[in-house]
Amino acid sequence: MFQRLDLGHGIGLRTKHFARFLAEAPPVDWVEVVTENFMADGGRPIAVLEKVRRDMPVVLHGVSLSIGSLDPLSEPYLAALERLVSRIDPAMVTDHLCWGSHRGQYVHDLLPLPYTEESLAHVASRVSAVQERLGRRILLENPSSYVAFRDSTMAEWEFLSELSRRSGCGILLDVNNVYVSARNFGFDPIDYLDGIDPDQVGQFHLAGHSDKGRYLLDTHGEPVPPAVWALYREALRRFGRVPSLVEWDDHIPPLDEVVAQSRKAAAIEAEELAPVLRRAS
Amino acid sequence: MTLAETQELFHGLVTGELPLDAPAIERGFLGTDELPATDRVAIYRNMYIGRLVDALRETFPNLARFLGEDRFGRLGESYVSEHPSEHHDVARIGRRLAEFLREYPDPDRPDLADLADIEWARNEAFFAPDSPAVGPDTLAVAGPGKVALARLRLSDSLRVVGLEWNAASFWRRMESGELPDPPVPGPIALAAWRRGFEVFHCTVPMEEATALRTAMDGEAMDSICAAFADRPDPAADAHAALASWFNEGWIAAVSVDPAA
Repeated sequence: MFQRLDLGHGIGLRTKHFARFLAEAPPVDWVEVVTENFMADGGRPIAVLEKVRRDMPVVLHGVSLSIGSLDPLSEPYLAALERLVSRIDPAMVTDHLCWGSHRGQYVHDLLPLPYTEESLAHVASRVSAVQERLGRRILLENPSSYVAFRDSTMAEWEFLSELSRRSGCGILLDVNNVYVSARNFGFDPIDYLDGIDPDQVGQFHLAGHSDKGRYLLDTHGEPVPPAVWALYREALRRFGRVPSLVEWDDHIPPLDEVVAQSRKAAAIEAEELAPVLRRAS
Repeated sequence: MTLAETQELFHGLVTGELPLDAPAIERGFLGTDELPATDRVAIYRNMYIGRLVDALRETFPNLARFLGEDRFGRLGESYVSEHPSEHHDVARIGRRLAEFLREYPDPDRPDLADLADIEWARNEAFFAPDSPAVGPDTLAVAGPGKVALARLRLSDSLRVVGLEWNAASFWRRMESGELPDPPVPGPIALAAWRRGFEVFHCTVPMEEATALRTAMDGEAMDSICAAFADRPDPAADAHAALASWFNEGWIAAVSVDPAA
């Protein structure tokens, strides 16, 4: 069983808010950072991160591990990740169920995989290799998707669950991504939640998206919309108390607004789990 | 399709190596009436270009300001198609932009490549590892009469750039929101470095740039000072330059070969 941490409610640490984090410890339980932005060995980003780490837990969230790529795992990347893990001692190390490099070129995007047995075996072996290298379990996030593959033989939630079972990795369940992909492909997001083993979920992500008319785009540039809050409630009912993070990466508002979203997540969690806690007591 | 075939196709479509050709796409991808497979793949292609151009804009803010949204976007798209990212850090994408601008120069602004060189040097300084800064008293490590044998380790953030045009003035005017002067012929040399969290740059005399490069190559003080040999008072100029290097925090360590 995946050992779930009790971190509470966090936000993504972004450059725009560095000054506030340097001056004080804002009222959040933890922060997540984009791993690659802190891999440089010196300069302001890593200095800020070390200060923040003294104040609260930090989660490393990568975008370039490219776990699904057929390129060999990048040795320079793993070495830099290893150094950062050793320097920061993060609460979790996470990345995405995707690929983003091919023939040595990086597209800097989270490209989805065809959900086949071949992909599953490939990704599971690479997750095991990364976990062995880091000496710790990693968590992988479900991507938001706009394409589906003719060759897929299983749903994303089946793939992710089986990957977690085979490799021992945890699942970072991005509730917004579930909603975005469900709208883009016409499946019921509740089926997705029901298909995931609660014991495998180690973290939730919450974010906003843009409605482009014919599809939803995962922009992280808006407040969490009502439909995603509603799905978050469904997730809480199924998975219980899970460390939750609000992501905001585009049109980033003042810190207080992001923190308010995180507090809202905490309030919703308290509402949803109160009956459970009352029953338990 | 195998996973390898799928990734080859998808990567080619996203990066523009392959045209958004409907039959090929529909062999690999599923679409809906509302959003056909070709339109779905196009979402990824547009995001690919947009993301990399945004990364370039962040690294080259004054070049982007000068060219404006559309021209910089077109430059970025052409550049990325010729020099796709080969590093996991998207901030490295602009590594060869100055070289690209030299290869395809703008006849009206031949100094664009030099402006890009300045911004890249500043970017490298920003992300460089931290270095200590030592004072001139450390030269005492050489011992009496052996200063000429001392070697300097310069700050990891220090970059020395040779420019064909005086793009330092171009950079300064764009940075302060002014209209640029016409291109001013050089050559000039420029040093960029970081102190604390702040990045600086300044022009340096050509012989001082040579001396800095000599020091970076690990040569001893006598070779470093030889760069000033053609000055009217070589010793005074070398001394003044060295004093300013210590003062700016460019010298991280002084050492002497024990066998010397």
